[in-house]
Amino acid sequence: MPNSSDRWSATRSKPARVLQFRNRDGPKAVTAEPPSLASTDDKHSLLGQLRERLNISLLAAGAAGSWDWDISRNQLYLDDRMAALYGIDPAEADAGLATSIFFKAIYPGDANRIRIAVAGLLHGAELFFKTYRIITSDDQVCWVEAHGRCHFDAAGRPERFSGILVDVTERHRVEERLRIAQSAGGIGTFEHIPGHATVMVSHEFCRLLGLNSADVLPVVTINRLVKEGCPPLLEMGRQQGEDLTYSEIGVRRADNGEERWLARRGEAVRDVEGGGVRFIGVIYDVTESKRVEDALRHLNDTLEQRVEREIAERLQIEEALRQAQKMEAVGQLTGGIAHDFNNLLTVILGNVDMARSRLGNSGDERIERALANAQKGAERASALTQRLLAFSRRQPLAPKKILVSRLLQGMAELISRSLGETVILKTETTPDLWTVEADPNQLENAILNLAVNGRDAMDGSGTLTLTAANIPSGELLPSGEIASRDYLMLSVTDTGSGMSQEAVDRAFEPFFTTKEVGKGTGLGLSMVYGFVKQSGGDIHISSRLREGTTVCLYLPRAGDASADLSDQIIPGEQPSSLNETVLVVEDDEDVRQFAVECLLELGYQVIQAAGGREALSLLIERQEDVQLLVTDVVMPGLSGRQLAEAAQQLNPSLPILYVSGYPRDVILQDGRVKEGVELLSKPFTQQALAAKVRELLDQSVSVEV
Amino acid sequence: MVSDVIELSELEHDALTEVVNIGVSRAAASLRKMVGHQVLLSVPAVEIVTRQKAGVLLGERESNGLVAVEQNFSGAFAGRAMLIFPQAHSLALARAVAGDEISNEELADLEQEALAETGNVILNSCLATMANMLKRPLTMSIPTVNKGDASTLFSEPVKDDEDGPVLFLYINFSIHQRDLRGYIAMMMDMPSMHSLKDLLAEFIRQVVGDQE
Amino acid sequence: MSVTVLVVDDSKLARINAGKALNQLQPDWRRVEAASAAEALAVIEREPVDVALVDFNMEEKDGLALAAEIREAHPVMPIAIITANIQDEIISRAREINASFVAKPLTAEGLQGFVSGAALRLRAKS
Repeated sequence: MPNSSDRWSATRSKPARVLQFRNRDGPKAVTAEPPSLASTDDKHSLLGQLRERLNISLLAAGAAGSWDWDISRNQLYLDDRMAALYGIDPAEADAGLATSIFFKAIYPGDANRIRIAVAGLLHGAELFFKTYRIITSDDQVCWVEAHGRCHFDAAGRPERFSGILVDVTERHRVEERLRIAQSAGGIGTFEHIPGHATVMVSHEFCRLLGLNSADVLPVVTINRLVKEGCPPLLEMGRQQGEDLTYSEIGVRRADNGEERWLARRGEAVRDVEGGGVRFIGVIYDVTESKRVEDALRHLNDTLEQRVEREIAERLQIEEALRQAQKMEAVGQLTGGIAHDFNNLLTVILGNVDMARSRLGNSGDERIERALANAQKGAERASALTQRLLAFSRRQPLAPKKILVSRLLQGMAELISRSLGETVILKTETTPDLWTVEADPNQLENAILNLAVNGRDAMDGSGTLTLTAANIPSGELLPSGEIASRDYLMLSVTDTGSGMSQEAVDRAFEPFFTTKEVGKGTGLGLSMVYGFVKQSGGDIHISSRLREGTTVCLYLPRAGDASADLSDQIIPGEQPSSLNETVLVVEDDEDVRQFAVECLLELGYQVIQAAGGREALSLLIERQEDVQLLVTDVVMPGLSGRQLAEAAQQLNPSLPILYVSGYPRDVILQDGRVKEGVELLSKPFTQQALAAKVRELLDQSVSVEV
Repeated sequence: MVSDVIELSELEHDALTEVVNIGVSRAAASLRKMVGHQVLLSVPAVEIVTRQKAGVLLGERESNGLVAVEQNFSGAFAGRAMLIFPQAHSLALARAVAGDEISNEELADLEQEALAETGNVILNSCLATMANMLKRPLTMSIPTVNKGDASTLFSEPVKDDEDGPVLFLYINFSIHQRDLRGYIAMMMDMPSMHSLKDLLAEFIRQVVGDQE
Repeated sequence: MSVTVLVVDDSKLARINAGKALNQLQPDWRRVEAASAAEALAVIEREPVDVALVDFNMEEKDGLALAAEIREAHPVMPIAIITANIQDEIISRAREINASFVAKPLTAEGLQGFVSGAALRLRAKS
């Protein structure tokens, strides 16, 4: 029986085939002439040696086996190892098998793919390079890489298809891990041989640059994405031996133009034929850390600036707070002074008044003139205290629903008279203005005050514009705040000299004035301020030097009820002389005395008390006699209000008149006089007291009837 | 990749890649013989895209002027095959295939014609191999040389008013020691694309059936 | 006796390549070139031609048609169809008119088989 070498040579007419194995990649092997052999023995031993050498080199190459597919004879030959892998008797495999055996061990999922590829080979493709799974004879799935080549006859027809299988199961696993690591870690790899115009890249590499997936890309295509001023990602003319140092490179993604930062690092590997190098490296996205780094650097760089700005902001807020506190303190102070002052003025005015009426027409004209001057002075002092009270938001207000357009109409003549002929008055109102709820007299005062201020700022000539408009909630107010409710905005604009920022900041302070000494009290704006604030509104000044000033008042929109603009009836022009009994309660001896004397003079029966408790016992004692209670509000012990409540329990129809210079918190609710309560502000004149008393007594009579 | 123009099954796509691969390896062998240098070839990436997308894909890789050697083919499927490379490489390619013996002046005269012949050899190798694989003869026209950019090269349809698909093969061939690279593309009309799909299916049937 | 070989190709580069290959294999052969079928026929009319290398892909008349015409007048002249169009169909058509098929790009190696066969036949004839 011939040995395997014999069969090997017997089945092959051309020993060149064996040489093909050894010189797998040498195309010359195909056409190499068979060695000329002297004898059969020599032939056998030579072939034996060749086979031995072949086996050694295949083992060294890590081959799991080799095959030779004779296309013209339609036979497949497997070597011992591949036969073992396929579970085929080596002897049979060496003798030649049906070509379909080639696909026998291939994992079913991969078989068709490989069939197609082999078909390609049989039709003229030169190289076969495939990775697929085979199921070995012991049922193990094993990844193999097949390196095959087709050999052609002289006419270029495919003659044999031979190659080796390499077990790459382990490598495949590692590659899989590497692939997952790369895609999970967002790491793109590249391999570049200097001098080549193209570079091998991973799909992740393409993804990082926003390019369509490719295995090979032109170097210029990659470098074209690099932002100006950055080094190229790949250097064509890189010299051998230098590793790729770490660098951060800005790129503009090809798909969406987004700017990203990529880090690149790599090594030079010296294993290219001819002693050259290839560069193997990775890129990964560092945009985020770069951004954080930049932001941090920026934060550091601008730290001082930011601290300064922060401090400035804080100072501004502190300043605003300080200003508000100051206004509050000044308000408290002025309110307190005004209260005491009012008591004094009541006494002065009352007594002067009384002295004058006692003197009658018979007196000394000089005394009469002196008294008149004293009264005038006291009245001016009284007006001043009213303003102070207004500023300190302690003036009693009698809010009514007001149609501002009508109010402005009614004031037009008064204002233009105040302005003089050289100042033009314009009024701009929008239709459907909302109504507001405020004290109409005080609002008129405020508008007049602002108009006069404007006139003075214009030095006699210019244009004064009054405007009124609705400001719905949600709109931005000039203060920078968002309107929390509906407001009616009323503004007074002049074309005057304007104010400095400093003056604007202090404009509402009492006694602050930009006018010359003697030209103003410095209380006008303070009053307006106090009034608006007390009415639940706001006020804002904007001013530019040499251009003019605008003062805007924001008054809260009234509820639904229609405006009642009927003028107040001024009752009782003439004091009547009647004999009703009036109880006067006042802790200030002088004021009480004045009031009592006034009423006695008018013909009323008067009983008096210096405090609440005393008054209450008097009321209980002489209940039915008392037709009117006149009481101070702020008193030690039982207050005016508590007294009034007790009195109304005794006699619900008893009319009550408060007399007060300090009405806040006592009879005011939300800055207004309580329903059904009458108030006479101190200081008061005999006439004012007479009118109020008569009015209340007459009302109570009509109620009783 | 599944095309957005015509659906190929996974196996059909494999088969198409293989058919193209065969054609391209033949073409590469031809090129290797012509230039006598190591030619590195990428495994062809086959995509079927619109003409517009083909322009974008190519434009992404090549922003400068391009040269295309074009050859029309007809038969069971018809279309235009194109060998595309950067215009800046045109003279270098002509030099590579003409050899170092001829003078620069001669080469300048020969450039256009050398490109046409190179295209002729490469495209013919490729198309003929595909025809053999699919067992359908193809008739090839005389090659023409056109200049343009990524978008204009694909702008002229194979047939009038048809936005036919492009079988876009990126085969980057790069030649060592010479800064050369190129692409092969095939534009086809829709009926041809369907015929090709049928032929691929037939090819698969034969291959898979034959060898089972 | 000197041998005259006619190279027909519309590409000058291809003719240069064919010349190079022939020069390696048969430096003594005299080369005549034609850039089209018409030119080729004119050459054959004018002077004796022993061997023909004909490009397939040419304008107007293709190489197979030209070869068929030449074959009619010269039943035994060794003719090779040279083309990169390696379709089976082209190869079998070449066979039908008793012409050899040599693939482009032309190399000395690829041409060797045809040239040595032709030389042998010419020697036998003479």
